[in-house]
Amino acid sequence: MNASSNGLMQQGWTWFSQALTQHDTFQGYFQPLMQMFAPQWSTDAYRAHIADIRDEIADMYTLVLKPKTGLIDRHWPTFQAGQFIELMVEKEGARTLRCFSISSSPAYYEKTGLIELSIRIQAKGRITPWIRQQLKIGSLVNISEAQGQFVLPEAALPKAIFPQPVLPKARADDQAPEKYLFIAGGSGITPFRSMLQQLNSPENPLDIQLLYYSRNNQHVLFQQEFEQLAQEHSGLSITFIDGEESGFICTEHLQAYCSDYYLRTAFICGPSPMIQQARKVLAELKVAKEKINFEFFGAAPVEIENNTQSAVRFQTSAKTVISEEGSVSTLLEQAENVGISPVSGCRIGVCHQCICKKKSGIVFNTRTQQYSDTGSEEIQLCISVAQGDVVLDL
Amino acid sequence: MTTHLASNRPDGETLKAFESDLNKIREETMAKVGDKDARYIRKVIRIQRGSDIVGRLALVLGFFNPLFWIAGVTLLALSKILDNMEIGHNIMHGQYDWMNDAHINSRKFDWDIWGDGESWKRYHNYEHHTYTNIIGKDRDYGYGLLRLSDDITWRPKNRFQFFTYLLLSSFFQFGIAYHEVAGERIFAGKPKNNSKLPISREELKQSFFGKIKKQIFKEYLFFPALAALISLPMFFAVLAGNLVAEFIRNLWTSSVIFCGHFTEDAHTFDEAECENETRGEWYYRQILGSSNFEGSRGFHILTGHLSCQIEHHLYPDVPAHHYVDMAKQVQAVCAQYNIPYNTGSFGQQYWTVVKRVAKYSFPTEEEQRIATN
Repeated sequence: MNASSNGLMQQGWTWFSQALTQHDTFQGYFQPLMQMFAPQWSTDAYRAHIADIRDEIADMYTLVLKPKTGLIDRHWPTFQAGQFIELMVEKEGARTLRCFSISSSPAYYEKTGLIELSIRIQAKGRITPWIRQQLKIGSLVNISEAQGQFVLPEAALPKAIFPQPVLPKARADDQAPEKYLFIAGGSGITPFRSMLQQLNSPENPLDIQLLYYSRNNQHVLFQQEFEQLAQEHSGLSITFIDGEESGFICTEHLQAYCSDYYLRTAFICGPSPMIQQARKVLAELKVAKEKINFEFFGAAPVEIENNTQSAVRFQTSAKTVISEEGSVSTLLEQAENVGISPVSGCRIGVCHQCICKKKSGIVFNTRTQQYSDTGSEEIQLCISVAQGDVVLDL
Repeated sequence: MTTHLASNRPDGETLKAFESDLNKIREETMAKVGDKDARYIRKVIRIQRGSDIVGRLALVLGFFNPLFWIAGVTLLALSKILDNMEIGHNIMHGQYDWMNDAHINSRKFDWDIWGDGESWKRYHNYEHHTYTNIIGKDRDYGYGLLRLSDDITWRPKNRFQFFTYLLLSSFFQFGIAYHEVAGERIFAGKPKNNSKLPISREELKQSFFGKIKKQIFKEYLFFPALAALISLPMFFAVLAGNLVAEFIRNLWTSSVIFCGHFTEDAHTFDEAECENETRGEWYYRQILGSSNFEGSRGFHILTGHLSCQIEHHLYPDVPAHHYVDMAKQVQAVCAQYNIPYNTGSFGQQYWTVVKRVAKYSFPTEEEQRIATN
């Protein structure tokens, strides 16, 4: 009863706003005016300013963000260690989005109001090098709410953050801490830094094995910090693995550096080949699927070969189309072939009726002969050909 | 008379070179599109929102001095003209989709006029821009009310079409709203079994009435009632102000649009001839079927750059404020290939529209002969 009357109120308010402003919300109508006083103010994102920029290692830097608070800014809700946010920057007038894991902890945010993103400069990327050059301390950016399921179970976290019913003391002491195996590759270390910082409290017994793969010993992010953490906590053991020397993750590594892997819940984050490899190794060692969590990390660079095999995921219709190597069909044709009929018109890129939100992936625009960005944006289905894997909001 | 394309068109080779020259103009312009364009459209939107808000306040202040009322009407008309032309029309063509801004986006935007944006996009961007000036395919040609070419059989009602034209201009927003949902078909006609529309008649009716209800609520009820809180007669002062502002906008938009396709020398085409056109042939037809008019920068903005109708038809998704520069280049290319390029002052062009409406009020000699025999 209450819920439905709330729904009606909401509908009525939307109608009222549409009638007066032709926008679904009054904020939408006022957005360009608000931006005169509050640059970057946006109805669908939060504002944050750059509090600091730190160069970490050769190709990585950390952005320290302070989400804005105050009268005109909605309060940025907090997050769980391991989650990511979309960072939105306006480059040449176009809003561009990239996803980054938050590399600092929720506890740190509660205390200081700051969050950190540690970003790897993609050699051929359009955005990551640009951000480093363009953004200065005090610059404004937009961020989304935190998202993602790559988080520790609530029970593992300090009670101050997630208050739980007080258990009888004796039983609480009996409980052995949950055991974890963290496998990180390169910049995939960032969500683990957040988790480790969050777990770093005296009353919180840890039992974590972290295998941290990096390209070589020049590319170890947060090394000192981690070494100190490991010294402070007997339950935390970190193995730094030099990729050049020891190679990719394999059964031997696991057996050598974390012999009780079968008792642990695994979290894997890094470049996608590494994740695939780690999952394969764990599967071969008969670790149950439910005990393996993973998060793909880092956007693929835009340069890719033509006519590769591609998988198009139509998210809303829950359908996937795999196209063969060398075949060229537009996303519109692919959608129609599996029985989805998006609104379409001219089929030559003129009328903009078949515009659709691309969630991720690269498409080739046959009209402009250009490759799209990797992030989320609007595309015209009738003149777009998938390059690699693409997810569509369709 | 419908232009016989095949015999008038330059040969294939020439058209190919022509096509690549026009493509080049597009590429060079698109390379410049960026930050400046984003700032530009946001600035125009701010001016529009500003005049909307200040205009409505001024109307109420007409209570103290009628001069305020006049200023209010002017500002409100300006707001509606900017919203419909430079902002709405161009955004809904997808000219600013690259900005990735949720509110400056062809999928989301709706304009301050009776016609529902969604329905308009469906027919205008597709039917009108693909089948420009093809008799029988481009429903915009005369809006089904006016006979503007002798390819359309003369009917007695055409005798009064100048009067019809004045009515259409005055109530243009209703005309557009009705026309874009093909009102004569969904309200009166029989449903077609093989309808290709991606949307049902019921949905079309719903969007037609849904939008009009909102507009009536805003302009004829809500804002007048708000003013009535001050004193009752203000209800009528504000209502009248809103009506006058809408009337000014109607006349302006209809005049601008008529100058784009219905000038004396704007050509019409036959459907069969336009099948399997190459891009170059399509460009050629778009140029022949459209006409430009000249003016100052501010004037161009008030027309939503439809003063550069030719460039708009060649490059419908290039941010429109580039059209003025592109027009110089397109005109030079046309001169080089001996392709007619129809431009003149607004006054000249409008005069030829008036002449055309008047001319086709009467049957051709042939038709007269048949009728009298």
